[in-house]
Amino acid sequence: MRTAAELNIKESGIIAEIDFSHPSSKRIIEHGFTPGQTIELVNKSIFNDPIALSIRGTLIALRKSEAGCIKLK
Amino acid sequence: MKTNSDLQVPLITLVGPPNSGKTTLFNILSGKNYKTVNYPGSTVEYYTSRFLPKYNINAELLDSPGIVSLLPESPDENVAVDSLYSHPKLGTPDLLISTIDSCQLSRHLLLPMQLINSGFNVIIVVTMTDILAKRGLKISESKLSKALNCDVVVINGRSKEGVDKLIEVINSNLDRIGESDKKNIIPYTSIQDKKDLVGTFKEIENVIHSVYEPLNKNEKINVSSANNELKILQDKIVTNEFSPDKVTLKIDSILLHRFWGFLIFLIVMGLTFTSIFWLAQPLMNLVDELFTTLNTLVIENFEPGWFTFLVSDGIISGTGSVLVFVPQILILFLILGLLEDSGYLARGAMLIDKPLSKIGLNGRSFVPMLSGFACAIPAMIAARTIPNRKERLFTIFIIPLMSCSARIPVYALLIAYLLPKDKPWLGGIILGGIYFFSIITSIVVAWFINKFSKRIFSANESSSFILELPSYRIPKLSAVLSNTYNSSKQYLLRAGPTILGFSLLLWFLTFFPNINPEVETTGRTTEQIQNLERAERLEHSFASDLGILIQPFMSPIGMDWRVGVSLISAFAAREVFVSSLALTFKVTSEDDEEQSTLLNSLGDAKIEATGEKLFTVATSIGLIVFFIFALQCLSTVAVSRKETGGWKIPILQVFIFTGLAYFMTFLTVNGLRFFGVQ
Repeated sequence: MRTAAELNIKESGIIAEIDFSHPSSKRIIEHGFTPGQTIELVNKSIFNDPIALSIRGTLIALRKSEAGCIKLK
Repeated sequence: MKTNSDLQVPLITLVGPPNSGKTTLFNILSGKNYKTVNYPGSTVEYYTSRFLPKYNINAELLDSPGIVSLLPESPDENVAVDSLYSHPKLGTPDLLISTIDSCQLSRHLLLPMQLINSGFNVIIVVTMTDILAKRGLKISESKLSKALNCDVVVINGRSKEGVDKLIEVINSNLDRIGESDKKNIIPYTSIQDKKDLVGTFKEIENVIHSVYEPLNKNEKINVSSANNELKILQDKIVTNEFSPDKVTLKIDSILLHRFWGFLIFLIVMGLTFTSIFWLAQPLMNLVDELFTTLNTLVIENFEPGWFTFLVSDGIISGTGSVLVFVPQILILFLILGLLEDSGYLARGAMLIDKPLSKIGLNGRSFVPMLSGFACAIPAMIAARTIPNRKERLFTIFIIPLMSCSARIPVYALLIAYLLPKDKPWLGGIILGGIYFFSIITSIVVAWFINKFSKRIFSANESSSFILELPSYRIPKLSAVLSNTYNSSKQYLLRAGPTILGFSLLLWFLTFFPNINPEVETTGRTTEQIQNLERAERLEHSFASDLGILIQPFMSPIGMDWRVGVSLISAFAAREVFVSSLALTFKVTSEDDEEQSTLLNSLGDAKIEATGEKLFTVATSIGLIVFFIFALQCLSTVAVSRKETGGWKIPILQVFIFTGLAYFMTFLTVNGLRFFGVQ
C-alpha cells in the first residue's frame, strides 16, 4: 500500500486510512487528513523532505516520516 | 474548582485554531492592538482585557493560546486545554467565542464541534468571508446555526462589518445563561479519543454541504469593487471551491522550487541578516553618542564624588547599554514581522527543516537562531513558537552560540590590533571568517549536545514538523509595526532591569573601595587626570581583587589579571570589554583617538610577572575565540531562566559554553605557539 510520502510532485491520491500507531497520527488527523479526502503533493523541499500536501483547500508542510502514516487507496 | 465568581463579571474566552482570525477579533473587541498572526502556533501567551467601553459589555475577555482540538498529547497542549476548562486565575469561562476561517470550515469546525459536545456555551464567529466571496460563495449563518445548535455570526475583520451583531448575540447569551450551566461541562477526553476524530470530521462534512451558498447578483457587484481595495494576492474566481489559492500555488512553484527555492531562501535570510547590522549601526552609534554625551555632561557639571559617578558611570552608562540594542531589535522584528505576515516564514521553516532535524532541531528553530545573531534575548523569546518542548529547549540552549552583535566591538578592536596597517581591507574578510567559524562550530557543538539531549532536557516527545503554509498576502504594516513595538517593549521590560542591575553592581565592584585615588597632576589636562584616576581606582577595586583571584586561570591562556578584570566586566554586556580594557591599560588620550591609542597601549602591554608581551598574535586570536564561545551575558542567563522555567538550563549553558571557550582558547593560544606564532 502506498503512502502520501511516496507521491510524486503534482500527483494526487485518496486517503484510505491513517496509521494510529504513529506518534504524529493525532496531529495529522487534526489537520484534516481523514479517510476519503483527496490530497495532492504540491511541493518538495530541496532535500525532498519535508513535503507540502494540499488538503481541504489548504497547504500543509510535513515530514516524509510523518506523511508515511497516511495510507492511500 | 475555582470559578470566576470572585471577579463578579462573566468570563468570555476566545478560542480558535491558528490563522482563524482569533487575534484580529480580540483586537477589535479589546481595542488593544496585538499581533495579527500569520504563522501557526504563535499565540503562546494569554492576553486578557475588558471589552472596549463602546460595546457596553461588562465581562472579562481572554485570548487563549491557539489550539486545534480538545485532545491534548504534549505537555504544552495539556496546559492549553486544561486552562480552557479551568483557567488558573480566571476559572471556567461562561461563554466561548470560537473563530473559524470561512474558507476552511471543513478543518476549523473541529474545535467548535468538540467544544459544543463538551457542554460549553459557544458562539461561532466566521471570519475571512471576503476571501470566500471572491470565490463567489458565502456562508449561511442560519443554516450553520441550526445544524450546530449554537449562535453563528459572520464578521469582516477589515471593515468590522458584523461586530455589532456579535455584541448583540453576546449580550443575549449572557442574559440567558446561568451559573449552573457550567456544571454541564465535561472534559472532552473523557468522552472521545483520537480514533473518534475521523467520525467528527464525517459529521462536519455532512454539516458544511448545506451551509455554502452562491452569492446573489448585487452582492457580487460589491465584491468586485472590494477586490480593488483588498490587497490580497488571490485569484478573483476560483472554480473549485476547495482547491488551494491559485496565486499562492504559482508563487510557491518558485519559492518552494527544488533548486531556486533554497537559493532564494539563502538570499532572503542573508539580506535579513546583514540588514540587522547595516541598517541598525548608524542608529546604534547615535544612541551610544547620546549617552556618552550625557555621561560627560554629568561629570563636567557636578562635583566629582561617588554620587556623581554613580549617576554617570552607573546609571547613565547602564541605561545606555540597555538601549543601544533597541535599534537592532526594532529592525530585526520589523523584517521578520513582514516576512511572517506575508506567509514566507512558514515556507522558510519548511525549507530548512531537513538539515536542522539532523542535529535534533526543527525548521521552526531557524528564525530564533537567526535572531540570535542580533541578540540572544529576543531570540529566546522567539523560540516560543516551537511547539515541541525538547526542540524548544534545545533551540534556547544553543542560541548563545550565535555570535551576537555585542561581540562586534570586541572583534573590531582585536582585528584592528592584528591587522597590518597597509591592509585594512583584510578586516572584513577576517570578520566574515569569524562568523563562518562561529556557525560551523555551533553546528558541531549542537550535534554533540544533541547526543545528551535526553539527560539535559528530560523531555521525550517525538520530533514532529507539521506546519500550515498560509496563503501569501501583502503584509499589513500597521499590525507588523505594533508587533515590533510590543517585542521591543518586551525586551526592555525583561532584559532592561537585569542589565541595568548588573551594570550597577559592576560599577560598584570597579569603583570601590578606592574612591579618591591620588595621581600625579602636574602637566596634565583635567581629562587626562580623570582618566588616570579612573584607572587607579580600577586597579585597586574589588573587581581587580576578583581579577587577581582568577590569575591562575588566565596564565595558561597567555593572559593576565588585567584581561581577567575586563572579562569580568564584560558580563554586564560584552561591549564593555573594550572600554574596560581602555581603563585597565590607562589610556589617557582624548576620546576621538581612543581606539588608536588603546591599540598602542595594548601593543606595549607586558605580562607583569615575566615581562613578556601580553597581546601577541596568539593571545589576540585566543581572545577572539573566547568571545565566540563564552556565555558572558547575565541578561541572557536571566531570560534563559525565565523561558526554560528553571535554573538547570541557564547554569549548564554558562558552564558548558564558558568552559568550552576557555578550553578552545587554551588550544588556540598554545597551538599557535607550538607552531611558532607568538
